[in-house]
Amino acid sequence: MLNFKKIRLMTKLAVYEKKDGKEDIHLSKYYKTDYVRFQVLKSIITASIGYALIIALIAFYKIEYLIKNAVTLDYKLIGTYILAFYLITITIYGAGALVLYSMKYDGSRKKLSRYFKLLKRLKKVYNESTHES
Amino acid sequence: MLQLLEIRERVKRFYQRYDLYLLPIIKFVFALTAFSTINKQIGYDVRLNRLPIVLGISLLSAFTPSAIMVLLATAVSILHVYFISPILSIIVIAILMILYLLFARYTPKQGYVLLAVPILFILKIPYVIPILLGVVSTPISIVSTGCGVIIYFLFQIIKTAVTMQSNVSIDDIIQLYTHVIDSLKGNRQMIMTIVIFAMIIMVTYFVRKLSIDYAFEISILAGALTGILGFLISYLVLSRSDQILSMIFGFIVSTVLVYIIHFFRLTLDYSGVEHAQFEDDVYYYYVKAIPKVTVTVPQVNVKRFNVKSGGRREFSDPDMEDTDAGVDEYEYEDDTES
Repeated sequence: MLNFKKIRLMTKLAVYEKKDGKEDIHLSKYYKTDYVRFQVLKSIITASIGYALIIALIAFYKIEYLIKNAVTLDYKLIGTYILAFYLITITIYGAGALVLYSMKYDGSRKKLSRYFKLLKRLKKVYNESTHES
Repeated sequence: MLQLLEIRERVKRFYQRYDLYLLPIIKFVFALTAFSTINKQIGYDVRLNRLPIVLGISLLSAFTPSAIMVLLATAVSILHVYFISPILSIIVIAILMILYLLFARYTPKQGYVLLAVPILFILKIPYVIPILLGVVSTPISIVSTGCGVIIYFLFQIIKTAVTMQSNVSIDDIIQLYTHVIDSLKGNRQMIMTIVIFAMIIMVTYFVRKLSIDYAFEISILAGALTGILGFLISYLVLSRSDQILSMIFGFIVSTVLVYIIHFFRLTLDYSGVEHAQFEDDVYYYYVKAIPKVTVTVPQVNVKRFNVKSGGRREFSDPDMEDTDAGVDEYEYEDDTES
């Protein structure tokens, strides 16, 4: 016979698993530190690639000047500038990612706790139905 | 008003019954508009302009997630540019990459904004996006809106750059490249547009958060007024007063559109029918779950939930739960963590 209480619970769980739950459950497979560290690393790498692209665009933009003064350029100064801005960029992106993804992880834990509560209730229903039979 | 509510109820019921078919149709219409606008604006490659191809990719985006549509639109635009000038397409790819790597990847759920802003710019009603995002989203959407604005102006510049290309000597390439970067860098209208859009989002968002009656409606109006004032000032500064009339008209249309979307939003958001599939030891279930509540009731539900959940104890609970076949696999790591 159909147990409607059980079906109702399972439907709720299934809907959650299909929508927000997908990401939350995926996140729950990581420790917080691991997840945040991984995301920070990813942000720093993408920011580095973006930064390199910008530098390349600027270099190409100034290419005539660069070629004309190739001998007299102060490469040390240019290198210092590029490095300094690079450090600023990755610090901002790293710190931003740290905050953003920590918040995201905590938020998903909160939603998950609701999910676990429903699972617990489902377990209870299961136990009751096996006792009856 | 009563009639309007009645219409809303009717639309809701219609949507509930046919949402499985309605959603792809709506997406298809959006995709068709987007792709034909792209083709009309930068349709250099005749092969991509053919009706079967446009219909085909629109159909494809109707049944796939919205990210695919954005990706397809990007690919089509780049192919069009590539057809007329490979150099320009490299520049476009580089700038789009920078936008994605540094900004857009942090708002993954708003990829469609990147596509919608340029398209709506061409349809003269880009103001829908900042007002709507202020109503439904958070100020973080400034990032994706800004990227969208940059993409629109980038393709405007590409359109003028295409005409000046003659041959492929190194000098020409550099000249072409300098032209694109110069007009992108010194584009005051673009920067002002980004700033004004950001202001619209902020104003709409903060007015919506105020605890006053009709906060939503007032926030939409406040956002529109901010935008009109901002663009008035910017057009006067840039001495482009010929655009003022179309701008104000665009704002009126946008505001009305946002009002309509807002009017139906709560209803449609909450009344989406859920199709779920699961199984237990005895049966397979294919459940169609239809919410029976009207607009106001879900909000009450949310309130009750917060009271009942009992706060902190509940949040730390999952870490210490007893072993259970279903819970086991999520808890294993938690146990080792603590």
